[in-house]
Amino acid sequence: MMVEDHSVAAPLRRLAGLSPASIAAMITLIVGALCVALEPTLPWLVKYPAAWSIPASDWIGSALTWFLGLIKPAMRIISAGLAYPMDWAHALFTFVPWPLTIGLVTALGWYIGGLSLAALGLGGLIFVLASGYWLESMSTLSLVAVSVPLALLTGGATGILANEFPKFKNAIQTVLDVMQTVPTFAYLTPLLFLFGFGPVVGLIASAIYAAPPMARNVILGLERVESDIKEAAIMSGGTRLQQLFLIEIPSAKTQIMVGVNQCLMAALSMVIIAAVIGGFKDIGWEVLLTMRKAQFGPSLMAGLVIVVFAMIIDRYSGKLATERSRYDGRVALAIGAVGLVAALAFWGKLSNPSSITLLDPVASWLDQSLTGFLKQNGGALDSIKNGAMFYALLPLRIGLDGAVLPFTWGFQWTPVMSAAFIAVAAAAGLVLALRGRVALGIILVIIAGVIETGVSDLPWPFLLVGAGALGWVSGGRKLATFAFVMLGLVLISGLWDRALLSLYMSGASVITCAVLGGAIGLLCAISPMAWRVVLPICDMLQTIPLFVFLIPVLMFFQIGEFSAFLAICLYAIVPMIRYTRHGLVTTPEELIEAAVSSGATEWQTMIEVRAPYAAPTILLGLNQTILYAFAMLVIAALIGTTGLGQSIYGALAGADVGLGITSGAAMAILALVADRLVQGFAEERRQALGL
Amino acid sequence: MTSQTGSDEPAISCRNVWQVFGPNAKSKLAEALASSGGDSNAAAQKLRDQGLIPAVQDASFDVLPGELFVIMGLSGSGKSTIVRCISQLLQATGGEIRIEGENLVEASKARLIELRRRKLGMVFQHFGLFPHMTVTENVAFPLKMQGQNKTDRTKRALEVIELVGLKGREEAFPREMSGGQRQRVGIARSLAVNPDIWFLDEPFSALDPLIRRQLQDEFINIQATLKKSIVFITHDIAEALKIADRIAIMRDGKIVQIGTPTEIVLNPVDDYVREFSKDVAKGRHARVASVMRASAPADRAPDDPGLRQDMTLEAALASCISRYDPVPVWGEDGKMIGVVDPADLAAALQAEET
Repeated sequence: MMVEDHSVAAPLRRLAGLSPASIAAMITLIVGALCVALEPTLPWLVKYPAAWSIPASDWIGSALTWFLGLIKPAMRIISAGLAYPMDWAHALFTFVPWPLTIGLVTALGWYIGGLSLAALGLGGLIFVLASGYWLESMSTLSLVAVSVPLALLTGGATGILANEFPKFKNAIQTVLDVMQTVPTFAYLTPLLFLFGFGPVVGLIASAIYAAPPMARNVILGLERVESDIKEAAIMSGGTRLQQLFLIEIPSAKTQIMVGVNQCLMAALSMVIIAAVIGGFKDIGWEVLLTMRKAQFGPSLMAGLVIVVFAMIIDRYSGKLATERSRYDGRVALAIGAVGLVAALAFWGKLSNPSSITLLDPVASWLDQSLTGFLKQNGGALDSIKNGAMFYALLPLRIGLDGAVLPFTWGFQWTPVMSAAFIAVAAAAGLVLALRGRVALGIILVIIAGVIETGVSDLPWPFLLVGAGALGWVSGGRKLATFAFVMLGLVLISGLWDRALLSLYMSGASVITCAVLGGAIGLLCAISPMAWRVVLPICDMLQTIPLFVFLIPVLMFFQIGEFSAFLAICLYAIVPMIRYTRHGLVTTPEELIEAAVSSGATEWQTMIEVRAPYAAPTILLGLNQTILYAFAMLVIAALIGTTGLGQSIYGALAGADVGLGITSGAAMAILALVADRLVQGFAEERRQALGL
Repeated sequence: MTSQTGSDEPAISCRNVWQVFGPNAKSKLAEALASSGGDSNAAAQKLRDQGLIPAVQDASFDVLPGELFVIMGLSGSGKSTIVRCISQLLQATGGEIRIEGENLVEASKARLIELRRRKLGMVFQHFGLFPHMTVTENVAFPLKMQGQNKTDRTKRALEVIELVGLKGREEAFPREMSGGQRQRVGIARSLAVNPDIWFLDEPFSALDPLIRRQLQDEFINIQATLKKSIVFITHDIAEALKIADRIAIMRDGKIVQIGTPTEIVLNPVDDYVREFSKDVAKGRHARVASVMRASAPADRAPDDPGLRQDMTLEAALASCISRYDPVPVWGEDGKMIGVVDPADLAAALQAEET
């Protein structure tokens, strides 16, 4: 483990002969045990007293309100200015007759990707037309069409700036990091205050949200241009601008196109999320409306329309980022011309796309069969939900002592049971410790303690010290301080209770995703057949805008914590699967051959060689899963989570800038701390393997 | 191999060049030099102790017009760094670098761009081809920077492409070519503006041995007609001996020896240089001139083996292996210019074993 030896614990460690991990775990355990033991006399050790909190939300709220008030007039001018292009785009997108739009999109698909993309574009748009959501979709697209160029310009300029002035690079990258972890809804509250209700807020939010991925990829792409290429440009006598625009940016084109792709997807996702503000008849609003009315057929239909658009945009722009063969432009022109002719020929005879109801029977059939299904299997679904709640989620949240009741488990949890439970865990831990796995043994005891107490009742010193200890083990003193101080900020901000609830929800989902996703990834690594099935599902899940995940879970499990949990898992499991498989299958051939020639079975190769080699990659997957879970946590607040997500959503509804910002910041802090800790471990593993 | 023509002024002149990496390198270097009284080794050690990296230490040498000057060393010896100092891809921390008398260290940005557009050409180890341009566009790029119009620069690019033997691949993209072909493009591009000074940074190191030898031979041919002033970087002693007029051997940022191939092989200054030339068959690189002694002219005997001073030791020994007396060496004009003792020949060839 990489820890500087001049740390305080060094002499202690030498005395006991323990690894830093063991010592960190031990300290955490002792702090936790002390807090619990002293609770009767010193209750503030467990529950942070409200009186000690500073009214951070109020302070930040009034400071921000004052500041935002100052820049409000300027912003209103910008918003008025932006209203023009938005109106034009909206008028254009809704005015162009649908045969022409379909023709153009299909032609574009042919031009960049041949038959398969053309078919995707054609089929997708015909579905949208048939669903009757054409105009709403075009409204959404017109927002995207204005916000994306804004995002591309600002993101690209930021990336280039970071590249040209290395002094600012670190600062810019930190800002980008933070912007990516600040939950989407948190952007909306101050924007709402600045710009008032209306589609402009969605537009600006989506531009802000979509710019960082572009900036990141521009930075990355420019960084990765081979030094020989850069030097060749210098030696050819190019000025700095010539080097940049004639050589470096074109050389980085592939990476930059990845940025464009991510930018488009982020913009679409945010435009749809911004529908919660309302005021614009777009497809996101349609989903929200039907969901609120529990019309799941139409809701699913609208959700599918969003998915179709996401897929078209993703596959089209994704294609641009890969090496591609060139397709005949004349075919594309012909397809476009067919669309134009059709539009002109039937001018005036085209039915209003909103009145097309081809798929309405499908929607109502879906609705009915769903209702039927729910009637028939409601009991089974309920028992799944209750089982998960009673036996897993509730104990994790409020602890065995609170969750085990005659109503749930059939008996009452007694202090004797608590003692027995802890004693068994301690015995198991002791056995592990005696076998030399000291750290693991202590961690086992800590986990038992957490389950007994419940995440929402954990003593705050235990969590702060625990995070610090993890930081110390994974990245040394600096990371330990970072974790400790950041969580301390959340603690004194008065949002601690809500943060604990968020921690519980994301923790539960992340653990589930890690176990399930890891298993699926392993399966896919072993069996290419399984991967062929799982890969398109993963692609699909990553393309769908966050919002749409809510529809299916709501259909089956109604509003509540379990639905939120499921939605988070559905979204956050993907990176875990991908990275696990990737790590396991990319073990160098030589290592595997060495293992096989030493007589290892396939399973032994997996455990002894592939898994350790894949560890850093899998940890990065876990890291992504954590970030995904936090991102979804806020969206899931729409359908019933408590915690910070709910505060952010509430702040949005009440236009409470202070609460929105502080809750968003608290959420970002949780995500950042988790991110740094896991990255620290991944880095430590990478260095240990010499990668 | 090449005659050194032109004025006496060196094409490139480096004086006390330092390249130090680390924070505040410039002031730290000045400080270290001042406190060690100009002793460069002591100054370098002082810098290392402070955590800085002296990648090039007090390098001084001249490259004459039309000379092929090779800088040789292992990886990390500072050879790539020094060529980057001369081409101003890196700003030297200290010292003076003159190209045809002009001090580059003091040159303005605009002047450097101008120099690169007209006078300097560079070939890179990993080719540095622009991936989004065809062969012709790559080669024509420096001309485009000069401001030439498209017709002119395409015409010139096609000429150079033919010179490097790539006729027929003008419209190919770099990704469609083999390593050897790519480096031909790199060479063509560096020659497009017809530079006087040509930098080659390990141009053949990334290539297969067979392709490498082929390109070396073609490179020698090209240089025989173009007569550029060249700084050629390599880590391969055989390559250095094969092509160089003079070789500078670098170690840990220092130039440890400068000399002709023969001098390097026959009179290595220290064990480091000796180690390099150990595996080299000396007979193939050292010339008769290096062991020739003066002697009174005499007439040509009927059984004279006809030694010339530019013969390799190996060839000379083969033709006079059975002799014991000194053998005359003849100049190009047919006059005797000295003698060689066969025992000296044999001794020179065995020098490495002792």
